[in-house]
Amino acid sequence: MTRFRLRLPPFDVPLAIAALGLVVIGLFTVFSATSIPGAHQGLWVRQLWWAAAAVGAAWLVAAVPYRVYDSLAYPTYGISLALLVLVLVMGSSAYGAKRWLDLGPLKFQPSELAKIATVLVLARRFDDPKLKLDKFRHWFPALVIVLVPFALVLKEPDLGTSLSFPIILLAMFFWAGMPVGHLLLGLTPVFNVVLFFATGSLWWFAGLLAVLLGAVRPRLAMVVAALVLNGAVAYAMPHVWNGLADYQKRRIQTFLDPGNDPYGAGYQIIQSRIAIGSGGAVGKGFLKGTQKALAFLPMRHTDFIYSVVGEEFGLLGTLTVVLLYAWLLMRGLRLALLSRGFASLMAIGLVTALFYHIMVNMLMTIGWAPVTGLPLPLISYGGTALIVNGIEIGLLQNVALRRKD
Amino acid sequence: MQPSNRDQRDKAQRFGVFAGAVVAGFGLVAIGLVRLQVADHERYLQLSKENHVRPEILRAPRGTIFDRNGQVLADSAPSFSIVFRPFPAESVGRDPSPDPEWVARVSRLIEQDPAEVRRLVQSANTSGQTAVLKRNVPFPIWSAVEESKDELPGVDVQREPLRHYAYGNLAAHLLGYAGEINEIEVDSLSSQGYRAGDLIGRTGVERKFEDILRGQDGAEYVVVNAAGKRVATFKEGERREPVSGHDLVMTLDLKVQKALEQAMAGVERGAAVAMDPRDGGILGLVSRPVYDPNEFSMGLSWDRWRELSNGGTNPLLNRAIQGVYPPGSTFKVVTMLAALRAGIASPSTRLQPCSGRYNFGGRWFGCWKHAGHGSLNFVEALEHSCDVYFYQIGLRLELPRLEETARALGLGDRTGIDLPQEKKGLIPSPAWYDKHWGAGRWRKGLLLNLAIGQGEILITPLQLAMLLSEAAMEGQPVRPHVIKQVRGVPEYHWQRPGRARLAASPTTWSALHEALEGVVTGGTATLARVPGLRIAGKTGTAQNPHGKDHALFACYAPAENPQIALAFVIENSGHGGSIAAPMAAQVLSTLFLPDSLRPAAARPPAVADTAAGARGD
Repeated sequence: MTRFRLRLPPFDVPLAIAALGLVVIGLFTVFSATSIPGAHQGLWVRQLWWAAAAVGAAWLVAAVPYRVYDSLAYPTYGISLALLVLVLVMGSSAYGAKRWLDLGPLKFQPSELAKIATVLVLARRFDDPKLKLDKFRHWFPALVIVLVPFALVLKEPDLGTSLSFPIILLAMFFWAGMPVGHLLLGLTPVFNVVLFFATGSLWWFAGLLAVLLGAVRPRLAMVVAALVLNGAVAYAMPHVWNGLADYQKRRIQTFLDPGNDPYGAGYQIIQSRIAIGSGGAVGKGFLKGTQKALAFLPMRHTDFIYSVVGEEFGLLGTLTVVLLYAWLLMRGLRLALLSRGFASLMAIGLVTALFYHIMVNMLMTIGWAPVTGLPLPLISYGGTALIVNGIEIGLLQNVALRRKD
Repeated sequence: MQPSNRDQRDKAQRFGVFAGAVVAGFGLVAIGLVRLQVADHERYLQLSKENHVRPEILRAPRGTIFDRNGQVLADSAPSFSIVFRPFPAESVGRDPSPDPEWVARVSRLIEQDPAEVRRLVQSANTSGQTAVLKRNVPFPIWSAVEESKDELPGVDVQREPLRHYAYGNLAAHLLGYAGEINEIEVDSLSSQGYRAGDLIGRTGVERKFEDILRGQDGAEYVVVNAAGKRVATFKEGERREPVSGHDLVMTLDLKVQKALEQAMAGVERGAAVAMDPRDGGILGLVSRPVYDPNEFSMGLSWDRWRELSNGGTNPLLNRAIQGVYPPGSTFKVVTMLAALRAGIASPSTRLQPCSGRYNFGGRWFGCWKHAGHGSLNFVEALEHSCDVYFYQIGLRLELPRLEETARALGLGDRTGIDLPQEKKGLIPSPAWYDKHWGAGRWRKGLLLNLAIGQGEILITPLQLAMLLSEAAMEGQPVRPHVIKQVRGVPEYHWQRPGRARLAASPTTWSALHEALEGVVTGGTATLARVPGLRIAGKTGTAQNPHGKDHALFACYAPAENPQIALAFVIENSGHGGSIAAPMAAQVLSTLFLPDSLRPAAARPPAVADTAAGARGD
């Protein structure tokens, strides 16, 4: 008798299970959130199709050897930049920002594609045995590559998504071997602004910068870059700030801290906290949420989906989601550790992007981060986001399949 | 390449950092979740049960608008509105359309159309935002609502600022109006903090300075019971006081504005502008027909809105900056300046005498005075607005030089006034004719028309006032503006014009000034005379395809020390000298003469020229 054995290619099974588990939880929650009367009633049917499309996309992306993506990195990056410009010119707006391109029945969010393209380009650049990230001609182009999509997305305006670009860069710099001291130098403009607003003087920061430069002793180009950049920031900050009229300052404060606007964003957070908190340990039960039924949480099926999870499935549900995400990300990190070169760098970039989105969304729903309008990966309603998440999982599986290459 | 052991160890360390970040991040989330779902569970459960926390918005009043002397033109007065607040217990799994009996009762109580009440409540139930059922209700209504609130869940009385324009339709086109934001705008402007029921500037200063006038609404959270009644304030959300908008001080002078309104009282369609020639500040601006902006604050019915915006006469249109007219003979000021600057004629130049008509290319071109002016020098030709003289000047000048002077004076482009939707007018260039008529398909003959301000040239009444201001100030460019000061924004100032000063010799200016004064003392605008005041001006009568001629007159005074420039354009009314010039006299005598000296009729005796029914151009 012949023994049949199911022979699957060596893809990462736990990673696939975690991802699929999250999508299934997402489908149930979106169903619950959109089964009540209102403008979004019945959207879960579409989400079902998106989920199928996302699985298909993951499969397709995993099937093509990643070397192909490596060689297509720059064209993809170019296309995504063109789309980002296009969205600024003719994008359709919602909630005051231009983020989508209207393609008939579909709405496409180019910033999602730009994120993947940026990861591919950085992975391609850093996949170089002679790479020395303390050399100007190695770190500077990477900085420019990231700043362009960052600025375009910031212009939409979409602060939340735009910040994912520098964070991806930081993570990939670190993974590619940039010394920690240099990374800190790269972060100095951030310290600069924060310290200025915290202490009201620039001396604290000047001291910090001097200590940092003394300790790290970087190459001249980097010293010059750090000094010029911080000089410019320090010079411009008070001028920019004082040059603004009161109402403009107020707007910036609301932009940086939407919790400032209690009727809008602040109210959503309160409602979200009530929804999660009232869920308790095991939740009110599937379809039995009362808060989610309120028309007061307009983004309950997208940005605030996690509040619905919390209300209907309780701590049990929210922690299950947390564990599935942690498992998924750990598997992704493991792939980055076990693979080399382009594949390893790509994996770390993707894991970082996912981790950033998950964190920003979850902290927002529990009220510990400002409302930024980022959906929860794999769970929130939304076609572009779900398919892009599918592509990201597909790329990670791609590494799993070919990490011996 | 085989990675070295050292590389591998580094990589493992970095892996450790990433893994640590993941664990720490999710750990943080888990702590937050445990606090919400275990530690504070009881409290949140309670809140979710009785529900319900509702933000109540404390509306900020818009900034006050003052005239230059501190007189209030627009402010915000407290008023009471009847609102519907959708509340959670009601919208759960419920049809958003309200109970017909409830609607009937509410609409009877507040004297509002039931269909409108139904529509507003329906949209409030879907959006979750408070809807204003009726604005600015009188005391009997709101007190009645206050009494029966318990039986009408969701209905409430809300105190909110009402925009009030102290002088009704005075300067309505300058001030503009603020109207309730519509649903589409709520969608696109919500990130800027707008929400249903907000007022937003629609036209005029209210629109241009929306960001400055608009305050920042405050809010407080209140806990309401199942009937929507307020039980307590919610401790977790802090009360935020509303911040009112900035106040504006306009360049407008109420005295000048009133005089202008009076002069324009009988006008059906037209515009008048008064400007300080020294800095371009608008002292007064009138456009006819007019509307009362207070109507918009009260909430306008759809029919009334249609009447205002689509009616054939369109009262919302600000004709002073959005109406474009052929300048007629007022444009001769530009033609004369261009000719003197180009050196093709001097103030004393005499050309072929005027016989009442002029032959060019086999066609006859008439002068407005059929009997002819005889032989005139340049100054006299402007005083009497002799068309035949200016035909000849136009032919010598040619288009590029005429266009250059007109553009240097700021015509053919927006003046950059701080009001929305200003029109450019039109100063045609050779390229313009090539494009619209075809290259080489236009002939020199059109210069005859352009030189006397007919043909394709179009200007706004504001540009006309600016033209006379610049003539008065010897070419010093002015940028018209209406806002003098933004209180609370000390650094606010309207930018100076980007244009250079129009270069012309002192003799050019003195000839022009002499001629413009002559227009009033003994030329076509003798009806603009005011005893004891030296006035310099120019009349115009613009032919147009829509019926009777438009009457134009623009002037500045006192001629020796210009303090005010005026421009009048009266649509389809007749001749500039007989219709528009007396209006200027009326305004100037109100402003410059003491009451005792003001002629009772404010109308000097008519001159033979115009009284005889000549065009008096």
